[in-house]
Amino acid sequence: MAETAIWNFRQLAHHELDGFGGIGEGMSIQIAKDGRRILWLAHESAPKNFTAIDVSDPRAPKIVARRDLPQSHMRSNSLETVGDIMAVAYQTTHQGLQPAGFELFDISVPENPRSITFFDCSGPNSRGVHQLWFADGEYIHMSSGAPDFRPTHPKDDQFYRIIDVKNPAKPVEVGRWWLPGTREGDSAPPPVRHPENADTGFRPHNTNVYPERPDRAYLGYIDGGLVTLDIADKAHPKMVARWDYHPPYFGFTHTVVPFFDRGLYIVSDECTRTEGADWPKLVWIVDGRDETNPVPIATCPLPPLESYLRPGARYGAHNLYENLPKPNAWKSDRVVLATYFNGGLRAYDTSNPYQPAEIGYFVPEPPARAPSGAIQINDVFVDERQIVYTVDRHVGGLYTLEMDF
Amino acid sequence: MSAGSTRSKWISETGPRALFAGKEALPFGRRQRRVRGPRLPVVAVTGFLGSGKTTLIRALLARPEGANTAIVVNEFGEIGIDQALLRASSDTTVLLGNGCLCCNIRTDLQETLRALFADRARGAVPSFERVIIETSGLADPGPVLQTFATDRGLGREFHLQALVTVVDALSGERNLDDLPEARKQVALADRIILTKTDLSDADAARRLSQRISMLSAAPVAVASNGAIAPGFVLDEPASGRDAGVVDTGHTHGLDGIESFALTFEAPLRWAAFEQAMAVLTALRGPDLLRVKGIIAIAECRGPVVVHAVQHVAHPPVELEDWPDPDHRSRLVFITRDLPRERVAQLFAAVDGVATEPSVKMPNRR
Repeated sequence: MAETAIWNFRQLAHHELDGFGGIGEGMSIQIAKDGRRILWLAHESAPKNFTAIDVSDPRAPKIVARRDLPQSHMRSNSLETVGDIMAVAYQTTHQGLQPAGFELFDISVPENPRSITFFDCSGPNSRGVHQLWFADGEYIHMSSGAPDFRPTHPKDDQFYRIIDVKNPAKPVEVGRWWLPGTREGDSAPPPVRHPENADTGFRPHNTNVYPERPDRAYLGYIDGGLVTLDIADKAHPKMVARWDYHPPYFGFTHTVVPFFDRGLYIVSDECTRTEGADWPKLVWIVDGRDETNPVPIATCPLPPLESYLRPGARYGAHNLYENLPKPNAWKSDRVVLATYFNGGLRAYDTSNPYQPAEIGYFVPEPPARAPSGAIQINDVFVDERQIVYTVDRHVGGLYTLEMDF
Repeated sequence: MSAGSTRSKWISETGPRALFAGKEALPFGRRQRRVRGPRLPVVAVTGFLGSGKTTLIRALLARPEGANTAIVVNEFGEIGIDQALLRASSDTTVLLGNGCLCCNIRTDLQETLRALFADRARGAVPSFERVIIETSGLADPGPVLQTFATDRGLGREFHLQALVTVVDALSGERNLDDLPEARKQVALADRIILTKTDLSDADAARRLSQRISMLSAAPVAVASNGAIAPGFVLDEPASGRDAGVVDTGHTHGLDGIESFALTFEAPLRWAAFEQAMAVLTALRGPDLLRVKGIIAIAECRGPVVVHAVQHVAHPPVELEDWPDPDHRSRLVFITRDLPRERVAQLFAAVDGVATEPSVKMPNRR
């Protein structure tokens, strides 16, 4: 697509973030004490750690702070804020490196984020934290390695960990869970590996917990499919259900968003390969009325592979808007917003969950210095004003939009 | 997924229609910000040969407001479109220099628009934002309206935003005298454009305006050399008045065609409305040329927009809010040999049978 394709969205602004426009999967809104609305973004890769942008006027976003990573062999990728506390995930390129874990910042002065503490997850078999969920101000739910965790396969080096951060200066692990068979010493046999070209690990990606069901964690478990956990006793999480649809599908289940009132799960895959090598990566509508037996009932329609196939670029599902349980986040249990890399940002109406209908899209023109010559829309956030923020994975930075559907 | 529950649920507790509805069951799907919802807007331009449809569309495409428009032309050869404007091609679609598409209907409108929609979705044509259909001069607009009225037709992807009828001041009066299709084009129109008024004498133009006002309550604008405010043709109706859903009076034309409005002070119950419409369409479907309305339904928080053409009714759309301060239910009927009084009595009678009457006799004007 040479030109921007836009339908039922209105673009308000585009900020390339001064040449550091590669953004990962951390997008969080803070309302600063002076009333400014600050969007915190985690960068996809080194050298930048995070960038804070004043989006009080979504038509004129302004950078207010930016930090470099301490090492080039690491990435932040994921962050979340609650009030004036920000948690940032640190993952290293290889196991055994440091710093691997998460860092808590005091962001009461957005221009000057101050480190409160660093929670170390490094170890001989750990790359640290890929993704964290921090919504209630008390617990961080994350996909992480640990110094004492020896996986049965090196690709299964991350698992679900619950960290109590009620005292931000002294985070404490209170619970953990991993797919039986993925840790050395487990009585269960290791899971059957996916084929070599599709072996992306039995480990969690997103680990969502909502106040509607504080006793449940909803995990996209990458090659393990969808996993729901009973975390009523945080020290001893128990599996409630697992929906594993690979093979025949390629793995990499990414995000699970429950629509509680409606008995639905929205589940996304992540496309991780270019030129359609892992096509199709989808957004699934799953019947979750009986939580012990999730049943897929539909997928969100998307244009055929040829439409957005570009050398060196990904085209397929990735992140969902997650109905973040925070006051400055939009909530909808009808509309799904999903990012598809070169397929842009796409919106669906799930009123009839058997036939989700596309109701909007935004596929910006390729950024000037895009390495693949294509846009790679990576993540999306919607604030309570219904302003949509979406980001490019490589260079495009931030786009602000209004929904018009 | 209620708290603590893991038991099986084989069927929804509130019946199959409420499956996955959640606490807030919405009878007509997600509430929409506007009538078209997420659908692609379509403007159908109708009018007799030589009335100036092509000139009008050409002028619109030249304006910035007309960018990203796909043009569907009915009977390409017959109306002699300027080759420089709409270039012919062996393909059904061609890309124009100004970013518009033109499409020569060789098959059926439905097939063409479906293909256009699919091509747009897969990126084979630019991401156009609206469609203008130029119908052939002799066309009865009824079938075009019907095509957009059902999901089996094009109603899921496209929304007929306006039927615009072009009437030229030179031959318009004669056409309206002689040709029932011309009268129907005017009677069914949402918006009417008078052209060539500069070429006719003032008396003739005045007579034509009067003639039109007898046939239709739709808003009328004058275009000179195709120049008209683009919004008159392209904009979504901003209010009930613009949508034509307003009681602007009662018109009587030849052929027994008349248009009238019913207004209801109290909210209607959907079942009563549905049954009254069912009786009308079952007994007098062919004479129900067009029904459009915005109604307050007792079961719905937002107003509900309804649209029917003969026996075909479009799925209702619930809006987030009323488009104007008038929150009364308003229904506009364009009928043939079916007077207002009969329709009003039917609505009152159906409601009277219901246990808790919510429909009062429509206001008389």
